[in-house]
Amino acid sequence: MGADPGAVWKLVQRADELVKYAQNRDPHTAYAQARAVLDEAEALTGQLDQKAAENFKAQIATRREDIARFEAQS
Amino acid sequence: MFRKKDPEMAARIPPGQHLTRGWPVLSASPVPPFDPKTWRFRCTGLCGGADWSWDEFRGLPPVTITSDIHCVTAWSKLDNTWDGVLFSEVAKRAGVKPEATHALVKAPYDYDANLPIDALMDDDVLFAWNHDGEPLEPKHGGPLRLVVPKRYFWKSTKWAIEVEFLDHDQRGFWEVRGYHNEAFPFEEQRYSWQE
Repeated sequence: MGADPGAVWKLVQRADELVKYAQNRDPHTAYAQARAVLDEAEALTGQLDQKAAENFKAQIATRREDIARFEAQS
Repeated sequence: MFRKKDPEMAARIPPGQHLTRGWPVLSASPVPPFDPKTWRFRCTGLCGGADWSWDEFRGLPPVTITSDIHCVTAWSKLDNTWDGVLFSEVAKRAGVKPEATHALVKAPYDYDANLPIDALMDDDVLFAWNHDGEPLEPKHGGPLRLVVPKRYFWKSTKWAIEVEFLDHDQRGFWEVRGYHNEAFPFEEQRYSWQE
């Protein structure tokens, strides 16, 4: 235990930025990078308390759904 | 670049922001297609209802407003001149009902942003079709975007196509993803945990 929720949030934010700037680059590469960052964030949630972990997992799942939707529309 | 010697300009830059002369392109979704023949703008929810074509919307009384942009990703862009129609004019013509307290301004791909009606009725809030005298580029929200200068820029919905008037607050796309519900730049209200 003892992971910093802020560190998880920073990774989630990094994924958000990759998605938000995707239209300036090759979107599929950007989405793949965002997914990898979300994987990294999810791995860190195992070190958080249960409530924080569940909250972050829900946020990460929402973002994965968003990316799948945007990728299908690109 | 940030001009530290200009105190008037410095006072316009919220904490944690830096000045940009360009205009970074950010968007969660792809740019939606625009066909002026089929484009519609609707007002729904607690109002009499409205459904305008592109030509009808462009026929609403125009205003020109200059304001600053503050993006939550930490850049600010000053002195943007917008042509468009005031949100208050759209609300009036849609017959917004007195019980409406909030609104969601919506775009394609399920994007929306929420704000209190009082904030949207400010005299600097508009739906803009021009930026600095030119038609708003699609990558920046053209043909039409909301502009809410007093809030972080994600509240200024790109590719706006609908206003839903509500009698309660309902968080929008980024607001349910951990970003602040109010989003005042000078109070640095970036994230929901600050609420």
